[in-house]
Amino acid sequence: MKEQKDVKVEVKHLTKRFGDLLVLDDISFNIKKGEFVCVVGPTGCGKTTFLNLLTKLIEPTEGELLIDGEPADPKKHNLAFVFQEPSAYPWLTVEENLAFGLKIKKLPKDEIKRRVEHMLKLLGMTEYRNAYPSELSVSSEQRVIIGRAFAMNPDLLLMDEPYGQMDIKLRYYLEDEVIRLWRETGSTVVFITHNIEEAVYLAERVLILDNKPAKIKEEIHVDLPRPRDFTDPKFIDIRTHITDQIKWW
Amino acid sequence: MKQKNLFLSILYTILPALSVVCLFILWYSVSNQRPDLIPTPADTWERFLLTFEKPIMRLSFFEHILASLRRVITALMFSWVFGILIGTVIGWTKTGRALVGSVFNMLRPIPPLAWIPLITIWFGIGEAPKVLIVIIGSIVPVIVNTQSGMERVEQLYLDVGRVFHANNRQLLFEIALPSALTTIMAGIKTSTSTGWMVVLAAEMLGAKSGVGFLITRGMDSGDTALVLVAMIAIGVVGALLAVLISLIERMVCPWLRKK
Repeated sequence: MKEQKDVKVEVKHLTKRFGDLLVLDDISFNIKKGEFVCVVGPTGCGKTTFLNLLTKLIEPTEGELLIDGEPADPKKHNLAFVFQEPSAYPWLTVEENLAFGLKIKKLPKDEIKRRVEHMLKLLGMTEYRNAYPSELSVSSEQRVIIGRAFAMNPDLLLMDEPYGQMDIKLRYYLEDEVIRLWRETGSTVVFITHNIEEAVYLAERVLILDNKPAKIKEEIHVDLPRPRDFTDPKFIDIRTHITDQIKWW
Repeated sequence: MKQKNLFLSILYTILPALSVVCLFILWYSVSNQRPDLIPTPADTWERFLLTFEKPIMRLSFFEHILASLRRVITALMFSWVFGILIGTVIGWTKTGRALVGSVFNMLRPIPPLAWIPLITIWFGIGEAPKVLIVIIGSIVPVIVNTQSGMERVEQLYLDVGRVFHANNRQLLFEIALPSALTTIMAGIKTSTSTGWMVVLAAEMLGAKSGVGFLITRGMDSGDTALVLVAMIAIGVVGALLAVLISLIERMVCPWLRKK
């Protein structure tokens, strides 16, 4: 099944130096269309740099990033990003927040309306459409942000530890939510986390980054059926294996 | 415990009214003992009624208030538009900060009243110079607040916009300005109360209408009751202006209302 998916994103020999400091060392991998990839690695291993390169916020020293075989270009391709910190705009309602990226991209009005309605329904937040983020709980706010990213129908959706500041109960809830949205929209997702359990729970494939300079240490396919069970021996095997590979303590 | 809370909540409702009553009693007793220092409440009330029978400079009391309000509102409209514009230029663009910022910081500490002599020489004593003095006073808080609001736009908000590939115009109008709006509104509040204070001062120096003129007129003719009537009117109108601005703030920043 997975083999039939087309390659969506190609990362070729991605390298980044800040002066003499080599932060990313020759990273290459492919992401298939509609794939959910988790990247795990020790804190401070250059994950943020890695992400900023993918969103084209900064330019790589060497190497390139191709989307559908073309060099990634924020003007042409739809890149979406979910930041670590809650980043809903407090002056916009839920509905306006969801429409924000679409408005920036200057999509036709009826298309924006259609997508926002669809996303409100997916999130189950139709009745909160006129609420402001300050009226929502932290988890609802984060769902709006994730919805805002998915509403873009992104070619590539990058998530930078979006649940880093949540407690366990909210994490479980939002992890299921992101899986649901991913399946509904068929987006391609790169999800960065330092929580190994989260990575194994979410990903079709886990990329393990090594410490400074960051390079890919190992790639692991997670073939477990969904919804996944944290207590499944196979789940625990994979988790233990990844933990052994990282060992940053 | 519950009883104590109830007691406290009643106390906090009564206390403000009580302090107003105390002030009134103080005024009443002092004015009855020494009417040469301050007119009695009854005299003040009569003087207030008299302003309708015998207009001062052919204007009724309310027309004087309106004259002051017209000056303030004209000046405020100007201050808000240009204050936000200048504040944005200083706070958002590096060139603007370098170019306008230093001049503004030099002129800012000069109180608006210090401009009166120069402005009188330049523009005489008509309507325009009074409005101009109010503008000088009321534009400063708008510029200062707009500038600091624009300088402190959360980097995260801008990054989100950049990832969506917003252009500079969109970053400014869709992100920076709305996020600075609460700070700008605070500046607009301050500018309103400053403007109201400055207009009275401007009117006390050569005007033929306005509440500030009434105070000078009362002082010149030893009519303390008139002075007191004007003072009370100034307080009431100032408070009403503050309420009005709060209402506008709620309309402009609805996300604050629902908190």
